[in-house]
Amino acid sequence: MKNLFSDKKTIALLSVPSIIIIAFAILAPLVVSLYFSFMEWSGFGAVTFIGMDNYRQLVLHDGTFYRALLNTFLLMLVTIFLQNPFAFVIAAILTKLKDATSRFLRTIYFIPATLSLVVVTKLWVSIFNPSYGFLNKLLQGIGFQNMQIAWLSNPKTALGSVIWIMVWQGFGWALLFYYSGLMTVPKELEEAAKVDGANKFQLYTKIIVPYMLPVIQSVIVIDVISSLKQMEMVYLSTEGGPGDLTQFIAVYLYQKAFRYSEYGYGNAISVIFVILAVFLTIFIQRIFRERSAGKKRVGA
Amino acid sequence: MYRKIGLFALMLILATTVVFAQGAKESGEGETVVLRMGDNIPDRSTGWGAVIERINKEFIEMHPEVEITTESYQDQAWQEKVKIYATANQLPDVMKYWSFSTLLQPLVDGKFVEPLNMDTFKQYGYMAGSLEGNVYDGELYGIPVSADLWVIYVNKALFEKAGVPLPESWEDIVASVPKFKAQGIIPMVTDGKDGWPLCEMFDNIQQRISGSFQPVADAIDRKARYTDDNFLQTARYIQNLVKAGVFQSDLVTSDYGASRNLFGQERAAMYMMGSWEMGLATDPNFSDSFRENLDVIEFPIVEGGKGGSDDLLAWFGGNYIVNAKSEHKDLALEYLEYYAKVFPAYAWETQATFPAQKVEARESDTIVAKKLLDIAADAKTTSGTPGLDRSTAAFKETHQDLMRRLMSKIITPEAFVAELDAAAEKAAK
Repeated sequence: MKNLFSDKKTIALLSVPSIIIIAFAILAPLVVSLYFSFMEWSGFGAVTFIGMDNYRQLVLHDGTFYRALLNTFLLMLVTIFLQNPFAFVIAAILTKLKDATSRFLRTIYFIPATLSLVVVTKLWVSIFNPSYGFLNKLLQGIGFQNMQIAWLSNPKTALGSVIWIMVWQGFGWALLFYYSGLMTVPKELEEAAKVDGANKFQLYTKIIVPYMLPVIQSVIVIDVISSLKQMEMVYLSTEGGPGDLTQFIAVYLYQKAFRYSEYGYGNAISVIFVILAVFLTIFIQRIFRERSAGKKRVGA
Repeated sequence: MYRKIGLFALMLILATTVVFAQGAKESGEGETVVLRMGDNIPDRSTGWGAVIERINKEFIEMHPEVEITTESYQDQAWQEKVKIYATANQLPDVMKYWSFSTLLQPLVDGKFVEPLNMDTFKQYGYMAGSLEGNVYDGELYGIPVSADLWVIYVNKALFEKAGVPLPESWEDIVASVPKFKAQGIIPMVTDGKDGWPLCEMFDNIQQRISGSFQPVADAIDRKARYTDDNFLQTARYIQNLVKAGVFQSDLVTSDYGASRNLFGQERAAMYMMGSWEMGLATDPNFSDSFRENLDVIEFPIVEGGKGGSDDLLAWFGGNYIVNAKSEHKDLALEYLEYYAKVFPAYAWETQATFPAQKVEARESDTIVAKKLLDIAADAKTTSGTPGLDRSTAAFKETHQDLMRRLMSKIITPEAFVAELDAAAEKAAK
C-alpha cells in the first residue's frame, strides 16, 4: 500500500481529477477573459480584435478605474489597521470574561456576519435614509435638530458610510478568528512570561501576537480578498455613486460589461483585477514568511 | 433517544424539501409546455402586473397544456438580466422590453428577436407612429405597449397644507420649497439612482429654455454640440434646482421604489415620472387620502424660456418582443397577438397604464387618467425618443452618470456639458 502511494504514476493519476476541475473552474474562465480583453464586444453580436486598446484606455485614461482602485485600497487599510486591531482587542477581552458573558457577547458580535449581504445592506440603507432613517432621527433626538444628512448621497459622507457597512458586517468574522486563535495560546506561555516579569502590554506584544501571526495572516489575506471582491454592498447601496466616489473594482467591472455593454473592457478590468489579487496575496504571504523566518532566527 | 428523534426530524425535513422542490407541475407527465416570460413589473397583484396576470390566466384557459413562468425585476436590473440572458442564449420566449435603439437594436442585430407581421398588428388600433418605433431595417420587431408622457404627479392635500398653489413654472416650485419644508414635506421626488429620469428632465428643461426638442436630436447626430449655450443654461438651471432643495436629499441613491413610496406615503408633494404611473390613482397599497388627492400636471415652464407647457416630452418606449430562438415560437407569437388584442381595454379598465393603443374615455375614469388624455390631446409638439435612448448603451450610461454627478454638485455645469459632448462624439464615431 505504501509503495502504491509512493508511485509517481499513481500520484499523477490521483491528481488528474482535481487538475481538471481547477482547469475548468479557474484557468478556462481566465483564458476566456484574457481573450475577450483584447476585443471590442457588446456581449453579443460581432467581436472585433482591438489589441491593447482596452488596457491602454484603462491604464492611461480611466479616472474611474483609479478611483475604484483607491477606494479598494482604502477599504483594505481600514479593515487591516482599524477593524483588525479592534477585533483583536475585543477578542482578548472576551477571553478574560466569564464564560456565559463571553458567549453572549460573542453571539451578539457575530450576528451581523450570519446575515445575508442583501439584508445587511438594506438594513443600513434604511438606517442612513435622510427622511425616515434611524440615524438622523437619533441625531435629531439628541439635539442636532438640523441634521438631515443624506449619508449615502452626500459626497462627503458616502464613502465612509459604505465602508462602515462593510466593516460592520466583517467585524464578526475577524473577532471569531481571533477569539479561536487566542483560546489556543498555551497557558504555560502566559505564566512563563509573567514569571519573567512581563506586564500585560509586553505579554501581548512579545508573546501572544507573535504566537498568533498565522491567524493574523489568514485574517488579513481574507480581508484583502474580500476588499477586492466587494460588489453586492456597493451595488445595493450606492452603485458607486455619487459620481464615482464609492466606486469599487468589482462593481465597475460589472457596470462596464453589463450596463455600458463594453464586455471587452470589462474583461480587461477583470484581468488586471486577477493580477492584482494574486500579487497582493503573494506580497502579504511573503511579508509574514519573512517575519516568521526572522523570529525563528532570533529564537535559534 | 433525543439524538434519534432529532435525526428522524432532520430526515423528514430533508425528504419534504426534496419532494416539494420538484415543483407542482409534475403531474403533467411531460405534456406541459412552459412559456418563459419576463418583464419589469414586479408587483403582480395591482396595476399593470395584475393586467398581465389576467391575460396570462386567459391564455392558459385557452391552452390548458401551457404553463407560464414569469421573471420580473425593476427596469435597470431587468435590462441587465436580458443582456446576460442574450449572452448565454437563454432569453425568455416572450418578454417586455424597450424599443429604443440603445436596447432593442443590439438584440435585433444579434438575431435574438423574431420579426413580426405588421399587418397582423396594425388592426389593433395602435397610435400613429407607435408601431414604426419598433421597425428596424423595414421589419417590425416589437409591439408598443405604452404611450409615455413625462409629467408631474401632485398630491393636492399637501399643497393645501403648505398653502402653495399648483405650480405653472419651475420658479413657482423653487418659491414653494421653504413652505413645504416648514411642514416637513419633501417638495419633489424622483428616481435619481437609475439616472434616466434625470436625463428626461434634462431634455425637457432644455426644451423649456430653447423652445424646441430638436437640439437634443441634433447634438446626438452631431449637427449641434452639447456645449452650446442652451445645454449649458439647462445644466446650470438644473443644478440650481438641486441647490434650492427641490428634490429629496438622497436623490442619487433613491431608487424607483423608494421615491415612489415617498410620494405614495404622502411624504412628498410632487413625483416626477411618466404616464405609466397613472395606476397610482387606483393602487390599493396606498391610502384613500393619497388616491383622492392625486392629480397630474404638465411639466412646468421655465420663466423667460421659449418652451410652453403644451410642448410634451412623449415617446413610445415599452414594448413586447418574441425570442427568435424560442422553442415555442408559434405559441409565443399567438400570445403576443392575444396581448395586443386585449391589453388596451384591460389596462384602461383598471386604469393601470396609458396604452399605446386607442382607448375610449369613460365617465368613471380617474382624474389622473382624464388629465393625461387631455395632456396628450392638447400637445402642440412632442419630442419622440428621449436623447439618452437615441445613441449607444455607453452614451446612455455616461449621460445618466453625468446627471447624477451634476445633481450631486460634484461636477460643474461647464464640465458636465463638455463631458456629455465628448460622450456624444465618441458614440457617433
